[in-house]
Amino acid sequence: MSSETPERAKAVRQRSSISDAVWSLVAIVVALIFFFPLYWAISNSLRRPAETFTVAGLGIPFVDFTPTLENWRSQVMVPEAYAAFTNSTLISLMAVAIALALGLPAAYALARFKFFLIPNKDLTVWFLSQRILPPVATAVPFFIVFSFFDLLDSRIALTLVSATFILPFVVVIVRQTFYDLPIELEEAALVDGASHFTAFWRIAIPLAMPAIAASALIMFAFAWNEYLFAVILTVKDAATMPVHIAGGVDTRGVQFWFVAVRSLIAMIPPVLLALLAQRYIVRGLTLGAVKG
Amino acid sequence: MRWTSRIKFVFLLPAVLWVLVFTIFPLGYSLFLSVHHVEREVVVTGREQVPVLNKDGQPVLKKNGEPRTKTVVKRELSTTFTFAGLDNFLRAFRDAEVATSVRITAIFVGAAVAIEIMLGLALAWLFNRRIVARPVLRSIMILPIFATPIAVGYLFFTIFYEVGGPLAFLGVPWLSHPDWALASIILVDIWQWTPFCFLVFLAALQGIPDELIECAALDTNSEWDLWREVVLPLLQPVIILVLLLRLAEAFKLFDIVATLTKGGPGIATQSYSYLAFTRGFKLNDFGYASAMAFLLLIVVMIVVTAFFKRLRRAYE
Repeated sequence: MSSETPERAKAVRQRSSISDAVWSLVAIVVALIFFFPLYWAISNSLRRPAETFTVAGLGIPFVDFTPTLENWRSQVMVPEAYAAFTNSTLISLMAVAIALALGLPAAYALARFKFFLIPNKDLTVWFLSQRILPPVATAVPFFIVFSFFDLLDSRIALTLVSATFILPFVVVIVRQTFYDLPIELEEAALVDGASHFTAFWRIAIPLAMPAIAASALIMFAFAWNEYLFAVILTVKDAATMPVHIAGGVDTRGVQFWFVAVRSLIAMIPPVLLALLAQRYIVRGLTLGAVKG
Repeated sequence: MRWTSRIKFVFLLPAVLWVLVFTIFPLGYSLFLSVHHVEREVVVTGREQVPVLNKDGQPVLKKNGEPRTKTVVKRELSTTFTFAGLDNFLRAFRDAEVATSVRITAIFVGAAVAIEIMLGLALAWLFNRRIVARPVLRSIMILPIFATPIAVGYLFFTIFYEVGGPLAFLGVPWLSHPDWALASIILVDIWQWTPFCFLVFLAALQGIPDELIECAALDTNSEWDLWREVVLPLLQPVIILVLLLRLAEAFKLFDIVATLTKGGPGIATQSYSYLAFTRGFKLNDFGYASAMAFLLLIVVMIVVTAFFKRLRRAYE
């Protein structure tokens, strides 16, 4: 028996290492399938227009065709693309700034103070429940109100709306982080005569910085990607990347090589930023319900 | 241990006021619009002769020395509201296109969300095994979630292209056949949102203590039984949460339709949100669009109520 047990254990281990290899392979194939559409855009963007539909197989650059940066060069030079990129960046940054300014104190209040009239958790859920509102329900009123104030096609209008729909993310992500911080540090400061604002600004905020930064990145990505409000509230001067991509196609038919470049330019910032915030994505996307 | 100082309101109120102004007010206004016929038209309020200026701001002169003038027509956008009672809502119930869009949205929501959750669970199971390069593969899986939906729509337009596209060898009329067009939209949504379900399930799986699984594994040899009797019941709250989040999100289907099919062929992929949008902003029928949006809101609210109870528990 003493000689048989290690034998068996070895056999089990061997079998499991073979199955590990098989499942690893499956996982790699799955990841490749999910990556394929992005890969296809990259491949398309590097082809000459005539090669779009003639390249055989998987369209691997250098193997199936000679890549060229011509499409990238001509798209980056387009002034509208440049303007849209600037608009998207500015609007998203300003919206994130507003959301942080409003959301951080609110998150702190929900984590540290006790509210009596409406319990804390109901306030939290109220904040995030508006994530669930269908945008069409508020789009018409926004359009009419902003046209009344002559703010259509201005960065301000879209910034205000974006700040509103990204606000729940900072509230739910950072509330939990504040809640998990040891309260003793802040209480010691209060005993020493510091105000609640000092405790919030000097102690809680610096300690919660990683979560705050992650929530800012996630909010930036959401503000950047938003289309419905953007297409309603902006036309030309304040048009964002999504509006720019959608507009360019209507006028000239679909030019695959340019579409690929534009789509990639639009996608790269939010996707990269989200990768940086990986650790907080689950918490953010489940509105704080799963800690991840 | 929680503080009760009144200073708490200074922290909380700005955000509360902001949300009231930018969410509750528009919703109230939308309700007002939904019981009115809204007509917007451009009214000419006057004409005026003004001198033509050159680039430096100087008036351009005619040969005889008089300033060149042009006529400027003064226009004003006038919006009139006529009370309509429940007309707009009743119209939505009789509108054949609304009925079609409801059916399309229902099929989309049902199929996409069901597949995303099952596939997400399967992938979470796969990635929870001892596989190579898990962090790298997991990062790749995150990419679709944050890809700009509008851009995703156009990307898939190139992928579904029937002549020479990468899927052309399958011989499927992806975007030109009504049923396949809807299937294409579902497929894009699956590509973008399965990773979300997968990530959340994987996080939940890794949160289950190892001892619990090892203990349960003593009783059974079959991994299937282990999953059915131990793991899935443990995951159940998370599965329901993901289900509700996806449902609430899927009802809003707009971006992909707007780029990939524009509701076509015909109205075969015209989702409810897309129809409400075109009624409002292409036909300028704001009252009707608001009524449609409100009906959608009621459906989503039903989902939210279920969601609310679940979420409340998560914030204990």
